[in-house]
Amino acid sequence: MRMIPAVPALRTARPRRPVAAAVRRGGGAGSAWGLRALSVGCALAAWAALHGLRLVPDFLLPGPGDVFATFVDVLRHGYRETTLWQNAASTLYRCGAGFLLACLTGVPLGLAMGYSRRVGAAFDYLIQFMRPLPPLSYLILLILWLGTGNGSKIALLYLTAFPIVVSAAMAGVRSTRVQKVQAARSLGATERQVFRYVIVPSALPMVLTGARIALAAAFSTVVAAELMAATDGLGWMVFSASRFLRNDVIILGILVLGLLGIALNRLILALDAGLVHWRGVE
Amino acid sequence: MSPPGRARGWGRLGDRWVTVGVLALFGAAWVAVTRSGWVNDLFLPGPGLLWDGFVDLVENGYKSRSLWEHGALSLKRVLLGFATGAAVGTLLGLAMGYNRKIEAFFDPLVEFFRPLPQLAYLVLLIVWFGIGDRAQIVLLFLTALPVSSVAAMDGVKSVSIQRVQAARSLGASGWQVFRHVVFPSALPEIFTGARLAIGVVYATLIAAEIIAGSTGLGWMILDAGRFLRSEYVFVGIVLLGLLGLLLDRLLLGIELRVVHWAGRD
Amino acid sequence: MDLTRRSFLRLTAAAAGGTLAVRGRAARAAAPEKINVAFFLETKPTMIAKGEGWFEEMTKARISWSEAGSGAEINTGMAAGSFDFGLAIGSSPTAAGISQNIPYQLIGMVDNIGPAEDMIVRKAANIKSPADFKGKKVATPFGSTSHFRLLGFLRTNRLTEKDVTVLDMKPDAEVAAWQRGDIDAAYVWSPAKAKMLEAGGVRFPTSKALDAAGYVIADLIVVRTAFAQQYPDAVVGFLRAYRKALELWKTKPAEAAAIVAKQAGVAPEVAKSEMEEYDFVPFDAQLSPTWLGTPGTPGKFTEVLKRTADFLVEQKSIRSAPALAAFQKATNTTYLQQAARG
Repeated sequence: MRMIPAVPALRTARPRRPVAAAVRRGGGAGSAWGLRALSVGCALAAWAALHGLRLVPDFLLPGPGDVFATFVDVLRHGYRETTLWQNAASTLYRCGAGFLLACLTGVPLGLAMGYSRRVGAAFDYLIQFMRPLPPLSYLILLILWLGTGNGSKIALLYLTAFPIVVSAAMAGVRSTRVQKVQAARSLGATERQVFRYVIVPSALPMVLTGARIALAAAFSTVVAAELMAATDGLGWMVFSASRFLRNDVIILGILVLGLLGIALNRLILALDAGLVHWRGVE
Repeated sequence: MSPPGRARGWGRLGDRWVTVGVLALFGAAWVAVTRSGWVNDLFLPGPGLLWDGFVDLVENGYKSRSLWEHGALSLKRVLLGFATGAAVGTLLGLAMGYNRKIEAFFDPLVEFFRPLPQLAYLVLLIVWFGIGDRAQIVLLFLTALPVSSVAAMDGVKSVSIQRVQAARSLGASGWQVFRHVVFPSALPEIFTGARLAIGVVYATLIAAEIIAGSTGLGWMILDAGRFLRSEYVFVGIVLLGLLGLLLDRLLLGIELRVVHWAGRD
Repeated sequence: MDLTRRSFLRLTAAAAGGTLAVRGRAARAAAPEKINVAFFLETKPTMIAKGEGWFEEMTKARISWSEAGSGAEINTGMAAGSFDFGLAIGSSPTAAGISQNIPYQLIGMVDNIGPAEDMIVRKAANIKSPADFKGKKVATPFGSTSHFRLLGFLRTNRLTEKDVTVLDMKPDAEVAAWQRGDIDAAYVWSPAKAKMLEAGGVRFPTSKALDAAGYVIADLIVVRTAFAQQYPDAVVGFLRAYRKALELWKTKPAEAAAIVAKQAGVAPEVAKSEMEEYDFVPFDAQLSPTWLGTPGTPGKFTEVLKRTADFLVEQKSIRSAPALAAFQKATNTTYLQQAARG
């Protein structure tokens, strides 16, 4: 069987080689921030224009001003007896719990699977089959088994994140340079030391990459999970608003979700940068 | 690369037995649990019920459409959304990789859309684009785009500078540098992004069909679930899994064929 | 057996960090600590009892309210043990649930739907007779009582799903599609129905004919059998609370409509006009042979359930429908009788 990692391991923030300066054009870092701000500004302007010029009918697209007013209103009075904080907290809790559980159980399993051919053979097919399963398709079964509370949702997120983390950890172990292992062994290191000082650090970059992908998948899925039988959460807020045709609340929800998503991504990137200072250095 | 642990035991043959053994164990547990009646049929249909359900779906289809029709409809949406999103995304990513200004300009957009849960704006898309495939394909397009563009951008950024300089010194023009050095160098990353993209697109499609569809495998599972026809739900899930696996392996096959130089420097 | 499996799974889920409330298997207590009720946010007297806290008052328990999106969701939740009561679940999902041995009982009716759910057609589509539906697009939420009626309409008018395109859409999606001009007709309830009528729609009356043909639809109250056996007084209290709300609607409609309007987030006039379309069957009528009957003498409504189930089997929505006796057994009017008296 080809030993190509089953999970496409996407590069993280630090590319392995320095930027091809001879190829890239376009100025230094200062102008970059200016352009970013310009981009956001353009998007907002386009939105305001579409709405203000009535290019899009009112009931389809509320303007930035309307959404801001809704934001203030929801902050003050909540949305249908739930506050914005409560909804955000619920969503983050479900996402975090499922993701952390997946990491706590998945990373050790993945490391073991990468290290021992026997363990790998035992579980590889099962994990590989779990990966392409769209999470929402088996949510109804989870609700049937675990009820309509948070349990079924956290289980769903766990099952979404788990195979990704396991695959990444396994690939991380397998990508350890054999020479390093042999070198350590020749220096008299015990198996445990080899594992702890060579293999785990070597696998860590890929593990964290997997964690990033898994967290993104879990975040996406939690919103989907809040579609069925939820009583709070940002996803619930968006869906509930759609039932009452409150497009302004929908857009507000989208913006909050987007910002949260960016924040979560940055969090793991920061963790990555902090822990894996040897990334890219061979 | 083989596992770094010390090899013990029966080697490759032993591995096969372990795999088969574990799968057989799960299978036996399944049969035992459903036979014993400890669990209601609703929660976990037994193998007999599943098989009957599968045969029924193949022979009679589901709600006036054959199983193949549902599958084909889902597949069509996935491929359309993925192809358009990945194509545009890759082009955008290449441009972003080449030019810092372009990167800076599009970066907020890409960074915002990439982690954004798709279902949240599906609702809006439905209001804007109406029912039918349109809203779903736009959603899938928007799902694939940021993933592909980040991958392509990373691919360009990580091109070895020596190669580029070497090509330049040999008198290559900008376009030639792109075509013969940068692009091939970035291809592994582009394909990685494509595989990631199709995975996300696939998951999103099913969610989209569940929320706002009238046809397709995802909708079939939802509808069957409405009436607690667990056997159809299970069969649907297994089919979805197999289809997803197939798509991924297809892309992998293409990648191995096209990017035969991956890993070599 | 069910409880054991559930407890095991719950334990696992709780260990996994879920915030499930592990409902202990208490000895026969007089009143439950917490009741899980699945309800619909709609313009009905149920909202009065909810809003005024009468359910909590008369069951002497805390109630955890879960808003359901459909009867199917209530069925799933009941099967999973997450809900104790299902408030205003449609007769179509109820028939399906009983056929599939979901452990609940029918204890009362909220309403006989009648003309409250009906076909709305676009004026511009020029649909004057059933045959005019050929080639048109009709939307309805699949699995609902409206869906049931629509299929009955097609059947009684010899139309097939090849002639008429039937689309599965939730009510809010239908309104959006209507505004875009994507659909020609919809079979649905208010508020979506009211919105469509305002926006170039006209009613195509079907309810009388369909009721006569046996496609009666109703909204019902169900309770989890195990819960009812453990806390019969709470069940009676629950029904009493609804009865009080019903009486308020009958005696002081304006005041009742105002309370409902506030809960549902609509104007009081809108609430009033929507409520007037339903036939909220009073308790003594529910106990008559026409509807649920008395304990020991089941009423004709059980036949409606059986017919609904048979139709669902034909549609291949459910695998099989049990005999009439099963529906009669699932109907338990003892609590209704007590609530009607007190």
